[in-house]
Formats: sequence, C-alpha cells, structure tokens
Amino acid sequence: MISTTAHNGVDAPRPARAGPASDLVLSGVSKSYGSSVAVRHLDLSIEAGHLVALLGPSGCGKTTTLRIVAGFETPDTGEVRIGGVDVIDLPPHRRSLGMVFQNYSLFPHRTVAENIGFGLRMAGVGRAERDARIQSMLDLIKLEGRGDTYPSQLSGGQQQRVALARSLVVNPKVLLLDEPLGALDRSLRESMQFEIRAMQQRLGITTLLVTHDQEEALSMADRVAVMNAGRILQVGAPSEIYDRPQTRFVAEFLGTSNILEGRASSDGRALVVPAAAGGEIVVPLGEPRTPGEALTISVRPERIALGTERQPSVVNIEGRVTGAIFRGTYAAYQVEAPGLGRELFVYRQADGPLGSVAFRLGESVVLSWTPQDVVVVASE
Amino acid sequence: MTEFTLPIAPRRRARPLAMRSVYLIAPAALFLLFFFVLPLADNAMRSFVDEATGAFTLARYAALLTDPFYLRIMGETVLLSAGVTVISLIIGYPVAYFLVRKAGRWSALVIFLLIAPLLTSIIMRTFGWQVLFARKGLVNNLLVNQLGLLEQPLRLTNSVEITIAALVHVLVPLMVLSITSVLQGIDRRLEESAQILGANRLRTFWEVTLPLSLDGIGTGAILVFMIANGSFVTLVLLGGGLQTLPLMIYQQFNTTRDFGMASAMSMILLVIAIACLWLQLRIVRRRGA
Ligand SMILES: Nc1ncnc2c1ncn2[C@@H]1O[C@H](COP(=O)(O)OP(=O)(O)OP(=O)(O)O)[C@@H](O)[C@H]1O
Ligand SMILES: [Mg+2]
Repeated sequence: MISTTAHNGVDAPRPARAGPASDLVLSGVSKSYGSSVAVRHLDLSIEAGHLVALLGPSGCGKTTTLRIVAGFETPDTGEVRIGGVDVIDLPPHRRSLGMVFQNYSLFPHRTVAENIGFGLRMAGVGRAERDARIQSMLDLIKLEGRGDTYPSQLSGGQQQRVALARSLVVNPKVLLLDEPLGALDRSLRESMQFEIRAMQQRLGITTLLVTHDQEEALSMADRVAVMNAGRILQVGAPSEIYDRPQTRFVAEFLGTSNILEGRASSDGRALVVPAAAGGEIVVPLGEPRTPGEALTISVRPERIALGTERQPSVVNIEGRVTGAIFRGTYAAYQVEAPGLGRELFVYRQADGPLGSVAFRLGESVVLSWTPQDVVVVASE
Repeated sequence: MTEFTLPIAPRRRARPLAMRSVYLIAPAALFLLFFFVLPLADNAMRSFVDEATGAFTLARYAALLTDPFYLRIMGETVLLSAGVTVISLIIGYPVAYFLVRKAGRWSALVIFLLIAPLLTSIIMRTFGWQVLFARKGLVNNLLVNQLGLLEQPLRLTNSVEITIAALVHVLVPLMVLSITSVLQGIDRRLEESAQILGANRLRTFWEVTLPLSLDGIGTGAILVFMIANGSFVTLVLLGGGLQTLPLMIYQQFNTTRDFGMASAMSMILLVIAIACLWLQLRIVRRRGA
C-alpha cells in the first residue's frame, strides 16, 4: 500500500493524531418515538473544521439529532456519514467522537486528570504519553496543578473546561456539544463562548453545537441551522440567517422582528397592510412582487429610525410611544401605529447621557426605514 | 425601631416548637427505655456478674474468645453470613440492574414481586422450603417418582445448602432494593460519556457503573450480613447441623440454662451488629458529602 502510493508520488496519509478533520453529513434522517416525530427527514452537512450551530426552541429535536450522530439513538431512516463513512451501524464507542453535555457529566469518582485521561486509557495510550497529553490539556484549559482535585471541587466554568478537555484530548473526528454553556451564568457564558470557539478553530475540529440560545449560535458558529418541530428551516451564515430570514419563524426566533401581514399592491411595489376603520398602511418593498399576493414581511427593530420628522424617500409611519426601556447599549421602544392595532419595536443606539431615553411615553414619533430593510418571509 | 427585632422573632418561636417535638418522641422513648435499653443493660450486667459470688467477672468473655469450641461457632456464624451476603450480591446486582435499566414500565411489578415475599411471615417461608425439599417433598417427588431420575430420595433438608438458599431467599430483596436506589441515582450521561470516549458496554460498567454503585453494594451487604448473622428461625427449622451464635444462645437459655453465658454471647452478637451499623453509617455519610 505504502509502496504504491510512493510510486504514484502521492504523500503517505498523515497520522490520525494531526490528521485532517472529517466532515459530517446527515441525510434524510428521521426519528419517531411512538407516534410523536422528533426528527423529520433532516439533511445537514458540516464542512470539515467548521462549527455548525443547531438552533431551535425546546423540544424541536436538537438533542435527538445529536444523539443520533453520537450513536445513542438509531434513526428510523437516513444515514450519518463521518468523513465519508456511514457510521449508522457503529456503536458510540467506535465512532471516535467527542461530546460535552450541559451538566458536563464528569466522572465524580475520578480526579480531573483521570477524567481527562479516560479516553486515552480506553484507546490504550501508554502511561507516559497519556500523562504528557493530560498535562498539555490542563495547561490549555488553565488548570495547571489541579489535576489531582475532584470535579466537585471545581467551579462550573472549570468543570466545563475539563469536560471540553476530556473530549478533545482524544482528537475526535467530530465534537458534539449539547447546550454546553446552559448551566453557566451570563458573564461566564460569554467568555466561554470565546474560549470554546478559539479552541475549536485552533484545533480545526468539526463541531456540531446544539443550543436554544440564539446569541450563542450567532456568535460561535460558522453556519447556523434553525430547527423547528423536527425540521431544519434554514441554514446559513449567522449574518445571513439574521438579516435574510426565509420564514416568519426564523425571523421571530432570532432576535426580535416586526412582522406585518398584507397583500402586494396593484403595482407589486408595496405591501398594503389593512388597518382599523377601513384604513390601510402602505409599506414599500425592496423588490417588486406579484400584485395581490399575500405577503408577510419582517423589519428588524434596529433597522428602524425614530424621529419627529418624516424622512425623504424612505418608509415613514407615524405613531405614538407606548413603551421605552433603557438597555445599556441601546434603548428599546414600543410604538403604536394608529390603526395597526399592535405595537412595533424599535431599537435605538443609546446617545446622550447614560440611562436616558430620547423619547417619552405618549410622544408622537415617526418610524422610518428604507425598502431594503424589509424582508419578505414565508408565513408558516 | 420595632422592625429590628424581626430577625430574632423566628428563633423565639422555634423554641416552643422544639419543646413540643420532645413531647412527641416521649412515648417512643419511654417504650424503648423500658423494653429495650433496660433489658439490654440488665443483660450486659448478667454477662459480667458471677452467679455464685455476685462478683464482677470477665471469665465468660475469656472463654468465648479463647475456647476453640466457641471460636468455631463464631467463625461458622460469620462465615455463613458472609456466604449468604456474597450470594445475595451475585444474585441481587443483576436483578437491580435489570430493574433500573431494562424493566421500564414493568419496574413497579418487579419491585412488587420482590417485596411481596417480605410481607409473608418468615416462618411461613421457611416451612415452604421444607415442604419443597422434604424427604417426600415436591422436589424429591419430581426427581424420584415423576422423572425417575433417582432411586432414593435426596436428603435435602437439614443441609447447609438449603439453609443458605433459604436465607438468601429472604435477604436478596434487601440487597436488590439497596442497589436499586443507588443505581437509579446514577446519571445515564456518565455512562454515555464513557461510551463516547471509547469504552464498550462492559468497560463502561466496570469503569463507571460499578464504582458509582459501590455505596449501594456496601449498604446492602451490611444489611444482609447483619440480618443473616442474627437469623434464628431459618436455622432452627432447616438447620443443616450448623451451629451459630443465635442457636447457641437459645440452647444456653433453654437447655443448658446458663443465663450468664447466653448473655455474654448475645452481647458479642450485638457488638458485631453495632460494628456493621457503624460501617453503614460511615458509607452513608461519605455519600452525603
Ligand atoms: N427517549 C424519548 N422517548 C420519547 N420521546 C422522546 C425521547 N427523547 C425525546 N423525545 C421527544 O422528542 C422530541 C424532541 O426532543 P429533543 O430532546 O430532541 O428536543 P430538544 O430540541 O433537545 O429540546 P431541549 O431544548 O428542551 O433540550 C420531544 O418532543 C421529546 O418529547
Ligand atoms: Mg436538548
């Protein structure tokens, strides 16, 4: 084998340890529990070395999908390929994966070093090499000298890092993270987001991250897959998912969205939203649509400017401030547009003195945005 | 100003409550005092007092702890209990594992089947064994008359094996329940973590499940050992020629009528039981930490 490759002048395969990352492909994966369908005909692929976040509300099938990849659940249909190899028939312990659970699942009866070295021991790595690799992992997670402590003596963040080290030390083909930061407090979560992302990129490890936290998904992932009711609705780069949601669900699940429903005007260049007392609100669209078509649009709160004057050549809607909240870096307003029967949300960068809001309750304001800020979404 | 007294208020109210709880345990405490503590103290006294002279003596304990006859009896007692404990563990662990991991919605039924025998009197159960294994009992009838496998009926009762079997039968549920409660508390994700890290099922059991269930094994083993050590009815009825401490105590009281010796023996039995309880408490305390 080696001589043949040498003849062909092809490089011999590099050792698995520093080997190229594997890609992960799920195709047509379905899983039901009795009559309830947890995952419906799901397709998802992760390029080698990338981090994909599976984002969705509770009970949408994220964990089930992850457990299918891990081998703890067998899908009813479909296949899972890791590095091009179908792994459906492989038991979990032969899939060469890493996995971190929300509660870390460190072995309570073993020290930190023993936890980290567990996978190496299972793989039959000799004591000397094992100790060296445990040591370098401890350095990496900034827990030098804590190898002999037990997990219960560590803080949540430290346990989290040990769990990460334990799964990375064996150089898994794919790393699976199930709500890895769910148990941490907010500030720690943010720094761990950076830390995990940095480590993942440095090691170039293919990663599937499961989360219901949109911020976590947007900030850590190369690509985000938004999931609902067992289906993946949209896959794309974080900015694409955020700025160009294809469905109303995606628009509303990621951040806040102002959703308006109506029909395209007779020239197809605007959306006509029926308002109270037979009135209507006309919202120009970025791209023309079929006249009379039923449409749903989304406008992000931070795309809306708030003022007291109508702006030229943009969409202008008049309204009245019904709510104002200061949120540190920005202020959030609720504005009622007469006849619409509901409020629109507007985020405005905080200017002026801290703690202040620029508009008061009851004040008459004008909401303005450009037609390019309008995203037409599927209504379902 | 009055608000500042607030933090003290709950404490003031707690005192009458504590007083009341003393009254609540009073009946039980009195009962235990008269029917447990005092007789026990009386028993202890008797074991240390020479009947003829009324003087303090350690002679009985010296005899018990040096005389090969008594030592053999104590050894046999402990050995029997240890054997019963090991067999109960070997039988009980798989049952507990099945109960927690595989039985699913049947687990309630399995637990019922386990506990049901405990609800019948120990004498009934022991007689059951006798009926099964007597000279003309079910087993011999099957082997000799029905299947014709044997010419002569086997002598099954009054054998050590049947005694051990009967004790195991009585005690295995305690072992199962002790282990079950600990197994139930083991997070499945710990086992899954081990699997993902390359451990097959057997290895996962050996590296994670078993070490994490040691507490249950310890509790169950001590419980079974302690009860087997003091078991009497089963040994009297099924016997097997075994001489254990409880049997000896009975004999000393009723046949030999050496009350002092019987008292000393029961004190030794008590010490073994207390040692077991102390061990168990240590295990539980470690688990709590
Ligand atoms: N072992 C099981 N038996 C029966 N139903 C299950 C099982 N596991 C999951 N389900 C169901 O499948 C659906 C998807 O569950 P899953 O755990 O994948 O959701 P999730 O997206 O991870 O949710 P969460 O964010 O709350 O963790 C749920 O409706 C759940 O009730
Ligand atoms: Mg989940």
